[in-house]
Amino acid sequence: MSVAELSVDNLTVEFASAGYTIRPLDGLSFSADDGQLVVLLGPSGCGKTTLLSCLAGLLTPTSGAVRFDDIDVTGLRGPARADYRRHTVGVVFQAFNLIPSLSARANVMVPLRLAGVKRSVAHQRATELLASVGLDERSHHRPDHLSGGQQQRVAIARALVHDPPLILADEPTAHLDYIQVEGILRLIRSLAAPGRLVVVATHDERITQLADRVVELRPHLSADQLVPQEVVLEAGRVLFNQGDPSDFVYLVESGQIEIFRVDEQGQEEHLTLINPGRYFGELGPILNLPRTASARAVGPTVLTGCSVQQFRTRHPGQPTGAPEVPAGA
Amino acid sequence: MWGVTFADMVYRYRQFLIAVVGAGLVLSMGLLLAGLAGGFAAETQQTVGGVGADRWVLADNAHGRITGVSFFTQAAVAAVGAQPGVTRADPLFVLPQQVAQVGDSTVNVNLFGVRLGGLGDPTAVSAGRTLSGPGQVVADNRSGASVGQQVRIGSTHFTVVGLIADRTILGGGPIFYMDLSDAQRLAVGGRALVTAVVTTGVPARVPGGLALFTSQQVEQATLASLGAADSSINNSKALMWLIAAIIVAALLYVSALQRVRDFAVLKALGSSSSLLFLSLAIQAVVITLLAAGLAVILAQFMGGIFAQPVAIPSSAYATLPVVAVVVGLLSSLVALRRATGADPAAAFGG
Repeated sequence: MSVAELSVDNLTVEFASAGYTIRPLDGLSFSADDGQLVVLLGPSGCGKTTLLSCLAGLLTPTSGAVRFDDIDVTGLRGPARADYRRHTVGVVFQAFNLIPSLSARANVMVPLRLAGVKRSVAHQRATELLASVGLDERSHHRPDHLSGGQQQRVAIARALVHDPPLILADEPTAHLDYIQVEGILRLIRSLAAPGRLVVVATHDERITQLADRVVELRPHLSADQLVPQEVVLEAGRVLFNQGDPSDFVYLVESGQIEIFRVDEQGQEEHLTLINPGRYFGELGPILNLPRTASARAVGPTVLTGCSVQQFRTRHPGQPTGAPEVPAGA
Repeated sequence: MWGVTFADMVYRYRQFLIAVVGAGLVLSMGLLLAGLAGGFAAETQQTVGGVGADRWVLADNAHGRITGVSFFTQAAVAAVGAQPGVTRADPLFVLPQQVAQVGDSTVNVNLFGVRLGGLGDPTAVSAGRTLSGPGQVVADNRSGASVGQQVRIGSTHFTVVGLIADRTILGGGPIFYMDLSDAQRLAVGGRALVTAVVTTGVPARVPGGLALFTSQQVEQATLASLGAADSSINNSKALMWLIAAIIVAALLYVSALQRVRDFAVLKALGSSSSLLFLSLAIQAVVITLLAAGLAVILAQFMGGIFAQPVAIPSSAYATLPVVAVVVGLLSSLVALRRATGADPAAAFGG
């Protein structure tokens, strides 16, 4: 039996969206050992799905490397990549993504048939797996005649059908009620065993209790990590760039801050100027989103940076959630 | 993958059924148009062949067309008949596109003046009897005439003594057979002129100003006078194939739009783009083949809606499956980009 070990090294993914360069993954590194259940934790938009796509060999990163076992996943191309998808990875999609025209059993058979396995063998294997997830009585039903939990079980059976050493699950509990959640999590937990690594992407922190390893894609900084600080900038110095992690809310004490965006061609778009007494940069830390614009000192500028909680304590009633400065700052 | 392909067709059977019926109707129209073109050839062959001549002698400026209405003297009949190799020579007077009053209807008819008992005199009547003298006609069924009915051509009245089947020319124009003298009286005031001499045996030569033709040459030359109509029909037929392709392509495109997520999932599970395209192409070909089958059935019932004779050639039936496959493959190209362009990463996400 091969040892299922995963390493992600300095992984960066960039793409253009609405004229701007988005970087959902920026130098991410982590590793996981055989038999572990790894939870990728983070809010929507933090790059969980992008990371899963890279692990599944569906997306080529801008830079960095993914290795699984002895396979350089990021270096795979063409038939080798298709072969990796057919034999090494099993994927459980967020919305189940069963083929609506096929029965539960036929859905489970699809990966095997695509890999060239004989129909009779695929049929036998699918029947066994559906029985193992408690759906032997429903194997001839189409997805629209199955509950959400049953569909997710079929999706899990499909992911397991070719006995892959790497299972990827994207928000596996997103469309389920709490009774169904318990069953699915129990099933997923049982999948992580020697010879198999399971990676689950979720924004649900409760799942971390089941994990052997948690990878936070957008780590929250605690208040004691964010000590209020005075920032002194020379003219032209950049305070933060768009795409950077959000930490502080800034109050301009003196000088002036320009908020701007950079499009995918590298052209700057001026958004606004922040004058003394005004604050900016509150939405990023409130929503745990990266900076969606850059900030630069126009002249010699002094600011105070503090956490959202500290800012609220010092300035009751602010920030209110209504943007003090245009969106993005 | 074939399981996915056919399961999808069953799952969306209503959509596919609409496409099969739509394309089937259009393909049946294509078959019927082929039948119309075939009908031109068939009626000409039946009419010319029905004369029973080995050779036709026509004015050389008629270029082999019996509908050319180019007269020459009836004395040529005896001259041709005297030629070595000729066992029989009879006159014909063909006068196309005459207006006849048949009951309350006005019908365009083609007059064939024949020598009674000679070549061209119709004997295989389906009702009534053969011609026995002037003032009588044997009429093609399509004229709407009945045995014993009085018909009027110009100011002359004739009695329908017999009916005959499948004697039309120029796109379903019924033929009225009559005594030669009647045709000469209607057309040239009774002068001894004819438009053709038909023979059994082959004359060694023909009088000056006349030319010798086989029946096949006469058929082809006469058909050539319908060249414009034949061309229009063939163009319309090609248009029908195109419309069938558009119907199937529209269905496949909509189907592909509905299946973008499925394509992404299948790719994520290891399917290749070419396999997805092949799946669509097979669906298209199955639809068009089913439509072709439906078209063959429909064409049997729809032939009667045309006034012209419809003779669908066996070659049209033979080529229909080929046309169906080509139409299907061309249609599937429309959805090609949807299938091959599906991003497997799109399978992720809600």
